Amino acid sequence: MGRLLLATSAVVLLLLLVVSTPTPSRVPPENPQPAYQTAVQDKGGLRTLQARYKVLSKQLSQLMPNQPYILVDTARNRLYVKHQEQVVLNAIASTGSGTILDKPGEGNSQWVFDTPRGEFLVKSKLTNPTWIKPDWAFIEEGLAVPQNAADRAEQGVLGEYALGFGKGYFIHGTLYTRLLGKNVTHGCIRLNDNDLRGVYKLARVGTPIMIF
Amino acid sequence: MNLCAILLLLAFTTPSWGKDIEAFPDLNLNNPNELKEATRVLEEELQLAARTQTYLLIDLGGSTIHIKGRGIDLHQIPIITWSSGSREGLKGIHRLIARPPVVRRKIEPGAGVEQEPISLTDMPVDYVLLFNPSLRVTVVPSVASDSLLQSVVLLGKAGWRNVKDWTTRLITDRSSEPKSHLRLTLSADHAQSLAWSLVDGMALVIRRPTDK
Repeated sequence: MGRLLLATSAVVLLLLLVVSTPTPSRVPPENPQPAYQTAVQDKGGLRTLQARYKVLSKQLSQLMPNQPYILVDTARNRLYVKHQEQVVLNAIASTGSGTILDKPGEGNSQWVFDTPRGEFLVKSKLTNPTWIKPDWAFIEEGLAVPQNAADRAEQGVLGEYALGFGKGYFIHGTLYTRLLGKNVTHGCIRLNDNDLRGVYKLARVGTPIMIF
Repeated sequence: MNLCAILLLLAFTTPSWGKDIEAFPDLNLNNPNELKEATRVLEEELQLAARTQTYLLIDLGGSTIHIKGRGIDLHQIPIITWSSGSREGLKGIHRLIARPPVVRRKIEPGAGVEQEPISLTDMPVDYVLLFNPSLRVTVVPSVASDSLLQSVVLLGKAGWRNVKDWTTRLITDRSSEPKSHLRLTLSADHAQSLAWSLVDGMALVIRRPTDK
């Protein structure tokens, strides 16, 4: 009896699956007229369309940066410096962990440690940067947030260089090179010393950074 | 000598726009329907590429999802199969209402243990994306998997989703549902990669295939 019930359920489920799944065949074109009929009727119209297409393609290509730009793939933890189609530098990086941390005393407010996505610009280039530890760095370690600004400064943890791209996010070095290739950061982008040096040389203030 | 120096300088200081690139290399320039569709997509894409944001271009003819910024192809995701309802509703710029939900791990302050970050494998493989204006994109994983068990699990999930959709449609007002629907079948890895790359409010344009 139980087997019969199970088999019936399976058949019903399969039937529902078949009935409610859209057919994989592609929908026939809405315009049933022969493909080239318009072209035959109106060669001038075709030429106008071709010209319009060329103009739009050109306009789109004009929006692409001609200078080198930085491309960051947060899913695979890679950083590239590209110049048009050419990859000038290919580096293993570490990007945001996606973890969350509660803000104490602020109800449901939280920090979300994602690397921001979108287009940014290199806003600053620093040598021997000092890390000014934000509140979350202390809270994460279970420490009290210092009142004195000087107690937030930490030397040597960001490597030799840092490239700022806004809202406290940087491309910088790391002491934890074994974690490169993993999503472990609080949103910044970490590189090893050699790659960081290369990016620092290739990028200038105003260099686009594309992050996805 | 001075003239040579000036000419060399001019050669290297090219303007800040890029070289002309064919927007759709597979386009048949003698097919007016293809040209009309390509120019429509380009007009929409130009609006998006002018802003500092990444956006999606689903090229149904080329069976590829492009993640783009400034007109640059940042990443490509192949589509295995697709199907759609009315193709008229696929026109225009659509905005993602919300990215697929991800279970984020919470940091325990002072725990002193390395927190497990989120990674690509935490991303869903089958999900529904709702866009504004009204468009529903269903992403399902391909069942062409080596593992029979995995295939059964994926089929079961797809079946369960269809049952849920079907019952929801029965008990709710059908007029509130998106009129346009697109169903994409991707490999499981690519479905996760797409889910990772999505951002709330991300723009989408779709290039529809035309009759050849």
